[in-house]
Amino acid sequence: MSNKKSKDELNFRDYIFYFEEHTWAKIEDGKVKVGITDYAQDQLGDIIFIQLPEVGAEFQKGDEFGQAESAKTVSQLYMPIGGKIIETNETLENDPELVNNSPYDEGWMIVIEPNDLKEVDSLLTKDLYIKLLK
Amino acid sequence: MDITIYTATGCARCKIVKGFMEERGISYVEKDMKADGKDDFQAFYKANRSAVFRGPEGIEFPIIYDGENIRQSIGAALAFLHAGKKLDGFFTVGTLHKEWVNGIHVSGGDPRYAEEFLYILRYLKDKNMKLQLETTGKNSGVLKQVLDEGLADVMIMDVLGPEHLYSRLAGEEIDIEDIKASLGLIQSFPEYKIRTVIAPVIREDGSVSYLTPEEIALTAKLIGEGSGSNKLPYMLKAFEPKEAQNPEFRKLEPIVNLLPYRSKARTYQVFADIEK
Repeated sequence: MSNKKSKDELNFRDYIFYFEEHTWAKIEDGKVKVGITDYAQDQLGDIIFIQLPEVGAEFQKGDEFGQAESAKTVSQLYMPIGGKIIETNETLENDPELVNNSPYDEGWMIVIEPNDLKEVDSLLTKDLYIKLLK
Repeated sequence: MDITIYTATGCARCKIVKGFMEERGISYVEKDMKADGKDDFQAFYKANRSAVFRGPEGIEFPIIYDGENIRQSIGAALAFLHAGKKLDGFFTVGTLHKEWVNGIHVSGGDPRYAEEFLYILRYLKDKNMKLQLETTGKNSGVLKQVLDEGLADVMIMDVLGPEHLYSRLAGEEIDIEDIKASLGLIQSFPEYKIRTVIAPVIREDGSVSYLTPEEIALTAKLIGEGSGSNKLPYMLKAFEPKEAQNPEFRKLEPIVNLLPYRSKARTYQVFADIEK
């Protein structure tokens, strides 16, 4: 059973961008990898199912691209920037708890071909995201 | 019958259902979703997601599964273990916690199986649970037995609408004398509430419209006639289109102002009020 962490115990990475709806975006070779933050996974508790979009689907910033479900709650997943889905983390189909255990690495969710990479400029830095949570 | 029971650590209701199976000699396998059974529950959930109910506090436990049928929460699980599908309709997934059990519908099941239904209520009461039951007035004979045996701690009566629309609103032929007989019993329960959801009605010409304030007045009149009192705790509730099963009803705009309904209802039930 996962117990909620205090704010100080949560892990937030440098060099990634944070969306106020608790997803993160990381630029890798002009593409953008997306997942949910340590805060989001902690709020959900043990994740039992993750619904991700089909490769090829296109979304705008703020669109819902899927949902994460725990025994306690269901949480919608929101696009930090607009773009086309070019890869999804298929491992999560059988191991959704990877999002709990490794939200920024093994628990990544989608990779997108961004409509406009400059959209990341509108996202939050680590410090601003932490401030948002307080 | 091999049963898998999905439980959550510390879930007292799960223990009651396991105890029931042990008393009956029903073999079962327990999967605690917060402990060793986590992966099994994950796989079960993935395969049966649409059949698993979520209440305001998440997935309700226990869940029992016999390889074909899923029953969730204490009442529905015990009913299935006791009588198979015979009691379907009497029980849905309950959402109350601690010692309270709800999702028990006197009017929802087949009255031929009243004895099996009452057996489950007795079993729950014997385990010190408090029961909140609901009725639409149908099966007044079963309601009388519930009352006589003291099996309900709270009774909620949903009076669907006025006499001339009752069958239409219920979606089945209703004997209005059955409804009036239930109304005659309602005040004898330790705690009770009467309510009407201002529901949409499919009219004779096929059009869909909400019950009108005048029809709510007639509903309050029916309550008065059946119960012999015009001073009952009668609550009016707005219909929520987004939760409707009928796609036609989902297109409706919600009623914002219930005051005209309350005013009309007070003609026959002076304490009529709006449920928040």
